[in-house]
Amino acid sequence: MAKKKDKSELEQQTVVGENAIANRETEGLSQGQIIRRRFFAHKPAVAGLIFMILFTIFVYSASGIHLGTEKHPFNISGWWHYNILQITTNIPCAPLSGCPTAAHPFGQDEIGHDYFALVTRGAEISLMVMVVIGSLGGFFGTVMGAVSGFFGGWIDAIMMRFTDFIITIPAILIGAVIGFRVGNLGVFTLALFLGFFSWTGLARLVRGEFLTLREREFVDAARVAGASNRRIIFKHILPNAVGVIIVSVTLLLASSILTEAGLSYLGFGVQAPDVSLGLLINQYQDSFQVAPWLFWWPGATIIAITLSINFIGDGLRDAFDPRQRRRIKRKDFALEAAKSRPGK
Amino acid sequence: MNWALKPDEIRNEIKLLAYIGRRISIAVMILFGSTFITYNLEAYAGDPIAGLAESTVQNKWYLIHKLTRELQLDVPPPARYFLWLKGVLAGLTGNLDLGLTRKSHSVAQEIAAAIPVTIRLLTTSTILAIVLGITIGVISAIRQYSRLDYSLTFVAFLMFSLPIFWVAVLLKQFMAIGFNNYLEKPNLDLLWVFLTAAAFAFVLTGFVSGTRKRVLITFGSSFVIFSSILFIINQTKWVLNPTLGVYVIGLLGVGIAFGMTYVFVGLQNRKALYAALTSVGVAVLMYFPFQTIVNQNANFGLLVVVALLMLSVSYFIGYFFTKIDKGPVIQASMLTAFLTSFLVVVDKILQSWKPYMNTPAVAGRPIQTLGPSNSLLVTTDFWMQNLDIITHIALPTMALTLIGFSGYVRYTRGSLLEVLNMDYIRTARAKGLGEREVILRHAFRNAMIPLTTLVAYDIAGILGGAIITESVFGWHGMGSLFNEAIQNQDLKLLMGTFAITAFLAVMATLAADLIYTALDPRIRIGKK
Repeated sequence: MAKKKDKSELEQQTVVGENAIANRETEGLSQGQIIRRRFFAHKPAVAGLIFMILFTIFVYSASGIHLGTEKHPFNISGWWHYNILQITTNIPCAPLSGCPTAAHPFGQDEIGHDYFALVTRGAEISLMVMVVIGSLGGFFGTVMGAVSGFFGGWIDAIMMRFTDFIITIPAILIGAVIGFRVGNLGVFTLALFLGFFSWTGLARLVRGEFLTLREREFVDAARVAGASNRRIIFKHILPNAVGVIIVSVTLLLASSILTEAGLSYLGFGVQAPDVSLGLLINQYQDSFQVAPWLFWWPGATIIAITLSINFIGDGLRDAFDPRQRRRIKRKDFALEAAKSRPGK
Repeated sequence: MNWALKPDEIRNEIKLLAYIGRRISIAVMILFGSTFITYNLEAYAGDPIAGLAESTVQNKWYLIHKLTRELQLDVPPPARYFLWLKGVLAGLTGNLDLGLTRKSHSVAQEIAAAIPVTIRLLTTSTILAIVLGITIGVISAIRQYSRLDYSLTFVAFLMFSLPIFWVAVLLKQFMAIGFNNYLEKPNLDLLWVFLTAAAFAFVLTGFVSGTRKRVLITFGSSFVIFSSILFIINQTKWVLNPTLGVYVIGLLGVGIAFGMTYVFVGLQNRKALYAALTSVGVAVLMYFPFQTIVNQNANFGLLVVVALLMLSVSYFIGYFFTKIDKGPVIQASMLTAFLTSFLVVVDKILQSWKPYMNTPAVAGRPIQTLGPSNSLLVTTDFWMQNLDIITHIALPTMALTLIGFSGYVRYTRGSLLEVLNMDYIRTARAKGLGEREVILRHAFRNAMIPLTTLVAYDIAGILGGAIITESVFGWHGMGSLFNEAIQNQDLKLLMGTFAITAFLAVMATLAADLIYTALDPRIRIGKK
């Protein structure tokens, strides 16, 4: 009998101890603070974030910003002295292609374009495509998923079948129609149209989240208190689903870069004279042996961007998902158990 | 046994049938919509006679007229779609008409020729990606936040971020050209031996966890083992005649038996170990008929028969060696027997490596980068034909597997971790079950349920082909057909390939939903 009592006491202590460790990290913090703290504890994610910020600044400041119309241009020139159309005729290591020199650190292509300018332009396009597809896909996915999951019934049925319909249309077809066929509408239009077709995955996820969340007690409570549908969606359910949305949007960002690169590689994306990283790889895949730098740089740039976005996504997932708690180390546990031992 | 269904169950069955019927009719509507939109998008996007209208050939007007009649360009696209649809629907009565391509080939025949190529290209890599990805994901989840987990996560993310065309070029460069060059003069410098061994040892060390001392010991011993293996391979020029022989197969089989027993039931279960070792013995015995009888008249049917034979024999071995809890023991011994007899087949194929290398069509450069098979190779030998297929498929399979498996790693890891945090796992542990039973029997099965969607999509995606991979490696499958159709503004070819892909995608969604419902009792059809 006495033994049994001991055992249950011990169990109770263990549970208390475990909760204490789990709570110690989060005591007295708001939800946002907890998330921020967890995110910044994830080293690869922080490294990815820092890299992305620095890389974006680096790329956009290199070529400068060129906006506005032809009549009223708005130009800020960058610190790099070549642009993608400029040709320098004295090419070292001709006739194949220019090897890296002090003036052209990434080398030159066979005509004499500065390869650094080409790669940075490609990276700019990748970043732009990523932002456009990410924001369009994120917006439409959230709206479609939220409406579908919240209202359910026939609205849900119609919207989900519409989603199934969009899923069947492949990105390559859109690329072919927009980028390759209808004149050359430019990268931005291509990104826009790809964005219109890339919300499907997110919509399904958000719908699932809304389906679960709308059955929860706090939604009933809000409804009883007289909240409108709009208020319930925006103030009560959406903040709870924001983790899923953010994580899945980061994955969408990473995959959209690969989509654009793949389309351009096949010749359906960005068209010459503009450049894209996929297009550069396609052009120089055969010069691997004679001019490997022409092949390595665009590939390395794509990988660097996608990898850091993926790591940021992983960090966000860890930060937002309370179910995947940080593992409590045995050492912490022993320490805590020692501290909470009765009589000490 | 009571076979009669209760009224309640009958009602559920009817509900399920009605649900499937409704979903199929919706699927038909979706297919109609997406083919209609695709047809019109493509038809309005480009004018097939635009190129001709600008040209200066003499009989330009005749050609334009001919093209217009052939492609029915005088009918507006929305109406022309129905002409195409009529041909497709005629397939219901057995005379399918998908029209002609721009080169006046039958679209249906082109697709029929492309499908086997695509299936051959994608089946292996899809299966490999699923098996590898799930295995690594499980390992990663069990050792969450260990060094192993971090290294696997990093690898998975890296693979996830790679553009496949870039990987393909690298593989062509290093695995094909580099390896073929090495085969011409198979003599590595000692420095390279040590460097490669160090790289292997480093990767292996990523897999162990524990104190620094243990890590260093692992690194040191694996470095010694790897470098001696490489040294022996180098000295004996094994790569020129890479056969295993019955002793090596036996040794590897014993290793597999120990490994499988460890994974499924644990080495303390002697009965299981003996069962697995007996299976190895039976499988190794297969080595001898393979050298003589099977050698002459081998074909795929025979291999399937042998595989089934091995599986059933090892099933009974597992069954008779144990008295209680037969399931995992049977699984372990079946898997052991299968893998060991697979080694026998691999060895048999490798035996034709040397003659294959010496044929003039190959001329000492076996790893190929283009096409599905060597058209110059003249052989009737079943094993050499297969070796030829393998040397061609190796690179694209590697590329597709590398890219494909990382998604499975991430999903499996996340899903298993979520399940491991559930209360019933705590209950299982509290009952005193070992970690192996908890993970294999309680957690793993439930963690696999969300993956059915992914698997269904990937399997349906096999027929869609891999557009980029097929174009890089010069395979003429469904993906390259689609690519060609877009490049040449070949509307009927495009619609033919697209209809198949879209059909399979819609069916995969339906199948995934149904499988999901069957596997997860918490979801019930018709229940709100």
